[in-house]
Amino acid sequence: MGNVHAAPTSGERYVLWLFVAGDEVNSHQARENLARLCERCLDAPCEITIYDVFEAFQPALDNRVLVTPTLIRVSPPPRVTILGNLSDTAKVVAALRCGGGER
Amino acid sequence: MAKPEPVNAHPHIPQSAVALPKVETHIEGLDTVLHGGLPAGRTTLIWGGPGCGKTILALECLYRSALAGEPSILVAFEEPVGKVRQNTLTLGWDLAPLEAAGKFLLIDGVPDPAGILSGDFNLHALLAIIGGQAQRLGTRRLALDAVDALTSLLPDPGRERAELSALHHWLRDQQLTTVLTMKIAQDSAFPARYAFLDYLVDCVIHLDQRSALQVSTRRLQVLKYRGSGFHRNEYPYIIAEDGLHLLPVSSVALVQRSLGETVSSGNGALDALLGGGYRRGTCLLIPGAPGTGKTTLASVVAQAAAARGERVLFLAFEESAETIVSSMLSPGIDLQPALQGDTLRFLTAMPEATGAEEHLFHVLRAMAAFSPQLLVVDALSSSLRMGSEQAAFDYDLRLLTACKERGITCLFTSQLVRGEPEAAVAGLGGANLASLVDTLVLLRFVERQGTLHRTLLVWKARGMAHSPACHEFRITDDGIEVLGVYDGDCSKLPGNASAPPHE
Repeated sequence: MGNVHAAPTSGERYVLWLFVAGDEVNSHQARENLARLCERCLDAPCEITIYDVFEAFQPALDNRVLVTPTLIRVSPPPRVTILGNLSDTAKVVAALRCGGGER
Repeated sequence: MAKPEPVNAHPHIPQSAVALPKVETHIEGLDTVLHGGLPAGRTTLIWGGPGCGKTILALECLYRSALAGEPSILVAFEEPVGKVRQNTLTLGWDLAPLEAAGKFLLIDGVPDPAGILSGDFNLHALLAIIGGQAQRLGTRRLALDAVDALTSLLPDPGRERAELSALHHWLRDQQLTTVLTMKIAQDSAFPARYAFLDYLVDCVIHLDQRSALQVSTRRLQVLKYRGSGFHRNEYPYIIAEDGLHLLPVSSVALVQRSLGETVSSGNGALDALLGGGYRRGTCLLIPGAPGTGKTTLASVVAQAAAARGERVLFLAFEESAETIVSSMLSPGIDLQPALQGDTLRFLTAMPEATGAEEHLFHVLRAMAAFSPQLLVVDALSSSLRMGSEQAAFDYDLRLLTACKERGITCLFTSQLVRGEPEAAVAGLGGANLASLVDTLVLLRFVERQGTLHRTLLVWKARGMAHSPACHEFRITDDGIEVLGVYDGDCSKLPGNASAPPHE
């Protein structure tokens, strides 16, 4: 399994989409974990878009998101999908930095 | 919403008190077992091992709903949507026009295999999608296929229970008639992990595929149906090329149509012995050892019926259609005109080829397509070669009840091994079947002073003043020639323990 180093080069940034369900527990945690993680662990700027499935379901449908929270790294490619409230920070960071991670 | 279907599980309770709205599945036999259909606005769980047909069952319920104009949604958690579409095409179901008309929606729910798990999650996105789409289409029918493919990703069984519980309650609040399928390993009993679902959902159907005596059989059983009566036994089903077919026995509700008009067997002398002929809608049984003339007699009756313009379906297990037609020419029975005029159709099968359920399915389908007035089976005893004795009995009984329900006259020959005449009647699987046979004509060879004589005895002919005597007959170039009363003592024939009873 190739571990292509896909962290953004200078000038680029992470584009992240976070799907949440209002302010329920896991979604709330995910928001907090993501904010902290981006600030401390990632060395490039993060552009985060929050999609609330309670407000609109179409973005979830379009992106095959069935659970909340779901974090999708849109850029840099390839796409990475992370399910859960992001409590395992190390795993999340590793996945975001690389071109794909381990489960 | 579905119109309420009265359920009379307990006849002493007034119907209005037990009425539960139901949704028909339109799957052959299943609505009978479910006493009308699936519970409307509630959840039904279908569980079973791989290959038993859970997805097909769920899909078929939805497909037939959609065909009837009810918008339906399937979320597939294990099979990719492309594969689902491919499978339905194999079954002859075309989803494309239904999807275009907004009557069917396929949602891809397969979790990303490269997805990473980090912490706990909920199913809110799924519910939002289902809710949104259901509202958009006006849907009331939903199927979640292999939902455990998603929920098994949850951190622990406790969380899985909680999410499935939340899902169930949400579905109920939305009043969606839902079918949930779950993959459960073949040889495990319903694992403890999912046992709670049994208590949660309103209806539980188990599909099982097993081997018995080297023949694979599939069985469906309704394990639970809250608020409704249901048929509690296991029922064989097959997955035919157009979907699922369940074969329930309807012996409890056996429709005993009144005996029809008397028609000729095709042989005047035989008619006299029978007390005028045989009655439409009845069952005739012709047992006899090999060579005694069963097929010849059956062909005489078949030809006479066809000549009257009746449609005859001839189910042959022993010989091919060509062999029968050509060998019947020698006793002067020409079946060719009837064949060419399509008043006679043959259905040939090798008993060992498939299981009893599939055989039954094929003959029932041929009967549905042809609507015969007469069904000839040569020989019914071949059902013993389809699998177990129980399978043979099931086959015989179901075929017989199917004919009785439709008012089709049936003529069964039965291969007898030398034995007591009583065995001829009991040989079809017991007293139950014997009572359903209306006419029994026993053919036997008698050897006397070095000559072989053919004898015919009308053992029973319900409702007819038949001859109680044993008659000799010959097979000539012009068919069957009934001679006089056999002047030997029929009761002393080998293997004959007692004289025939009189009715």
